[in-house]
This record gives sequence, C-alpha cells and structure tokens, in this order.
Amino acid sequence: MLKYFAKRIVLGLVTIWFIASATFFGMHAVPGDPLAGDKAMTAQIRANLEAKYGLDQPLGTQYLIYLGNIVQGDFGISYTQENRRVNDIIREHFPISATLGILAIVFAGLGGVLWGALTALYRNRWPDVVIMFLVILGISVPSFVVAAISQWSLVGANLAAGTTILPIGGWGTVWHMLVPALVLGLSTMAYLTRLMRSSMLEVVSTDYIRTAKAKGLPATQIFSRHQLRNAILPVVTVLGPAIAGITTGGFVVEIVFAIPGLGRYFVQAIQQLDYTVIMGTTVFYGAFLVFMVILVDLVYGLIDPRVRVEK
Amino acid sequence: MSEPLLQVENLHVDFQTYGGVVQAVRGVSFDVFAGQTLAIVGESGCGKSVTVQSLMGLIPMPPGRIHQGSARLRGQDILASKMIAGQDIRGSQISMIFQDPMTSLNPTMNVGSQIAETLEVHRGYSKSEAFARAIELLDMSKIPEAAKRAKQYPFEFSGGMLQRAMIAMAIACEPAILVADEPTTALDVTIQAQILDLLGDLQKETGMAIILITHDLGVVARMADEVMVMYAGEVVEKGSVDDIFYRSGHPYTQGLRQAMPTNNKSTEAEQTLVAIDGSPPDLFNPPRGCAYHPRCPYAMQVCAQQAPPTSILGPTHQTQCWLHHDMAGALPDGLVSGNEAGR
Repeated sequence: MLKYFAKRIVLGLVTIWFIASATFFGMHAVPGDPLAGDKAMTAQIRANLEAKYGLDQPLGTQYLIYLGNIVQGDFGISYTQENRRVNDIIREHFPISATLGILAIVFAGLGGVLWGALTALYRNRWPDVVIMFLVILGISVPSFVVAAISQWSLVGANLAAGTTILPIGGWGTVWHMLVPALVLGLSTMAYLTRLMRSSMLEVVSTDYIRTAKAKGLPATQIFSRHQLRNAILPVVTVLGPAIAGITTGGFVVEIVFAIPGLGRYFVQAIQQLDYTVIMGTTVFYGAFLVFMVILVDLVYGLIDPRVRVEK
Repeated sequence: MSEPLLQVENLHVDFQTYGGVVQAVRGVSFDVFAGQTLAIVGESGCGKSVTVQSLMGLIPMPPGRIHQGSARLRGQDILASKMIAGQDIRGSQISMIFQDPMTSLNPTMNVGSQIAETLEVHRGYSKSEAFARAIELLDMSKIPEAAKRAKQYPFEFSGGMLQRAMIAMAIACEPAILVADEPTTALDVTIQAQILDLLGDLQKETGMAIILITHDLGVVARMADEVMVMYAGEVVEKGSVDDIFYRSGHPYTQGLRQAMPTNNKSTEAEQTLVAIDGSPPDLFNPPRGCAYHPRCPYAMQVCAQQAPPTSILGPTHQTQCWLHHDMAGALPDGLVSGNEAGR
C-alpha cells in the first residue's frame, strides 16, 4: 500500500513537471510578450526591463532558471502588477477559491448521490422524471447563465422581503458562499446524479442484493449497507476530474458574484501574457489537482477492499 | 406422516411483459416436511426457480404477479406478507442459497459481517456477539481458520468456500426450511460432493427441511427423499425418490432418466443416452392439453385436447398423464402403472 502511494506521488511529480514545461514553452510560443503594452517604450528602456526580468537570456536558460525557482517554491514577481510576488497572489486568493470549490464539491457530491439514488429507487415514476429533467437542464445550461439567473432571483427575493436574506455578491461570511457554491457545483451535481442513477440501477439487480433480501433485512438496511456503498464507487472515481472542473471553471462564478478568488488572476494573466503569473497559477492548480486525484484514490481504497490489497 | 411445515397449493405466477403474459408457474402444489429433502427437477425455464423465489418474495413485482394459490408456513399465509409476529420469515424461518456463490455476496463487506447481519436483524444480537457466532458458523460449515476468514472479503474466497459461507449465512438463525437453488451448478465436481455432504450433515444435526432445486439427477438420487418433476410450469410427477427413479409414471420423467449417464451399463438401453427431442414450450402461449404432448413419443389425440387428470400410482406417488387412464390401453415399456407400483 505505501509502495503504491510512493509510486503515485513520484508519478504526480512527473506530471507537474510536464505541466510546467508545456505551459512554459506554450506561453513563450504565443506572439507578443508581457512588455508589449499600451505605452510605447524606447529601445533602451525595453532592453533594461528585459535584462531585469531575465528575458534577454536564451529560452533554454530561462527555462532552467524558472524550473530551479519552482523547485524552491518561488514563482517570481508579476510583470503587470508592480512588485507583487506571485506567491503572495496565490496565498491571498487561493484560499477563497478553494473554500468555494470545496463547498461546491460537497454540494455536488452529496446532491448527486442523494438524487441519483432517489431516481434509481423511483425509476420511471414521477420523482425520477422530474429530477432527470432538472439534471438535463443542469448539464446543458452554462454556469454564467445559471449564475446570472440566480443572482437576479436573489435581488428579487431581497426586494420582496424588504431586507437582505442572502447577499448578492462579495465575500466574507458563510452567507456569501452558499449561492455561488451551489451554482458552481450544479453541473457537476447533475453529472454525478446521472452516474449515480445508472450505477444504482445496476446494483439493485445484482445477486448480492437478492441475497440481502433473502436474509430478510429491512429495506433501509439493504439500502445503507449494501446498495449505497457499492453504487457510490463510480462516483468516487470521477470526483478527481470533477474537482478539476470545478476549481478551474470557478472563475466565471467568481466574476459574476464579485468573489476575489484566484480564477480572475488565472484568466487575466493569460490575456496580459504575464509570464510569471501564468506559470505560478497553472503549476499551482496542476499540483493541487494531482494531489486531489491521489487523495481520491486513497479514499477509493477505503471504500473498496478489492483496490486496497493491490500492491 | 406428520403435519407438513410448508404447504403450497395451486400456485400460479406470471410475468407481464411487453410481449405478453408469461405464465411461468401454472398450478403447483407441494408439501414440505421437517427433516425431509424435497427435490424439484426439470429443465431450464420450467418454473423451478420462480416457484421458490415467489415463496421468498424475491420476484420483482411488477412485472411478476402471484395471481392464484396459497402458501402456508405452519398454517400461516406467507404469500401476502413475509412478516409473522413482527419478524421477517426470510432468513429466520426460511433461508435460501443460490446458484452462483461468486456474485451472491456483497463485494465490499467482509464475509463475517454479512453472516452476522442476519443474527443482528432476527435475533437482536449485538455486533460483536453476532460476529463471534458468525465465526462459529463458518467453522460448522468446515471453513478452515474461520476467525481469520471471517474478516476477509468475498474476492479472497474460492467458489466452494463462498458457497460454504452462504450456507453458514443461511443456517445462522436455524431456519425450518433451507431452499437451495442449484447450489452446486457453478462448482466443480469434487466441490459439489463436499457441499452436498455438508448440506446432508447440517440437515441431520438441525432437522431442517431442504428444498433442493436441480437439474442434475445424480444430485437428486443422493440427497432427496421426495422428488417433484416440473415441466412448463406444472408438476408432471411427484413421488419418493425410489418412485421417480425405479417406477417413473410419466414419459417426461422417463426421458430425463434416459438422458442421464450411468456407470452401470448392464443393459442395452442403459448404454445409449437418449435426448428428449425438441425444446420446452413457449410459456406466452402454452399448448392446450398436456404441455408435454408435442415432444412426447406416446402422445395420443386426447393429449392435445384436454389436460390430463391426476393418476394416483402409489401412497406417495402421483402423475399427470393420460397413459394411466383406463381407456389408454397397455403402457409403453419402462412406465409403471398404479397396479404394478405396489409390487
């Protein structure tokens, strides 16, 4: 078991290195550079700036310097935000994105499992039909539309109540988090619902559920001990990629609800070709996801004994 | 004989499907006595499993439907509700083991807990008491190192051991009746013999009745006291194991017997295996008269028109066949009439 995870961690480091390299060469291949701004600058100023940031070095040398810095955990200084260290940007804004993302995942996971199990148990009856209709909506409608509609509804609800039931944007308290997290997790919840439904339908007709019935167990115990645990396995498997989708897709929701998360910097940096911020956020997100996928594997082993023993 | 434990009368089960109504069981009656083994034999699709699964409430309804008949356990109806005195009879009074042990246990739960669960539900044992008892039960089912094995998961067991674990689970609450639905079909021959021995030993110790479903006549000869031969959802012949093997009264029973290989090749007839031509009828639309008549070598005109009456061939032996009617003339070779059966 330990050996297996040591292997996973080494593979994860290789993945992060690959992400870093691909991002580095990809962003340098894009035409233009971070100094090509609105203000015209003289050749002398440009040469000085390039020397300051090390852009006058050959690409290979720059790559090695970047890699060396990343290994030491230093992502450098932003090009566009004066004298702001990328590490500080991540430290200030990532916890906000992470809180929102984790809350969204919790909503999506709990909701997906609950609705999925419910639709499977009420197969082809009205709860199934209603929930599956909503699921199709949840998957098809893009998050900025859902975000806008929910914000508009919040405004309406607050006006009707004459007081602020829930804030329509910003960040600070738990109440600020609820609606954005729900919106962010919605499409994942819809996807997990479908997955859980089909997995549950498969489990319901297995031989071991028949055995459980033949033992005379009450239906609630069959559900909690035999059906849920087996049906949840495929859902746990896709949680890793789902976390990826939610954390990287979070910037739209962050912008609509005026949440000071990392997503905004992630997108802005690409538009401005802010090399250090692109590298920093991408490598950091990459590392975060690799870690999450390993964590999901660990959880999977706890649920399914067949995975646990594999060396 | 004493009062029967379980009395099933005129049971009809059908399935509503898109293609029509499948009449899977059409009027089956039988009694089960304590300490006795009743074998139900017949080819695939003749309603053996549906019969017992409907008694256990394992048929999904809909599409399944029990539209006629009764089943009483010690005089109490068990078709409408599986609860007697607030307790589910399944697992406590009647328990069941299945054909494929590899898929019949929950893959994510250790074997001991799966056995313990029955005791927690029916006997109100605590978790640790139940688990300790589960280890004893595994030991009784002759699983070596039961304490260690109880903590293992089904994928760590072989097929034969899983079937032993299933048996341990089934006998946990000392049920009056054990239903074994083709318990050895998925196992290899040496393991089959061990499992059958185990069932026989446990029956002697506990005095439970066994309903054994099989299409292996070798298993029947070894285990059964009474035999019920089913065809197309009906009982065609019923009798003691000797009645069925040495005094068969129905051409279908005779056909099954001739299709069974033997080691004793003294006569010409026993050296060749004779298959029964054709295949079982479509139960969407069972034939009129006797369901077996399209395949029966001795079929007469009346067989296609009217269902045969029950002929009593002996104190425990009866069959449904026109050949035993007074007007049918001499019986073909190998079939035994009521008069001869007494010899």
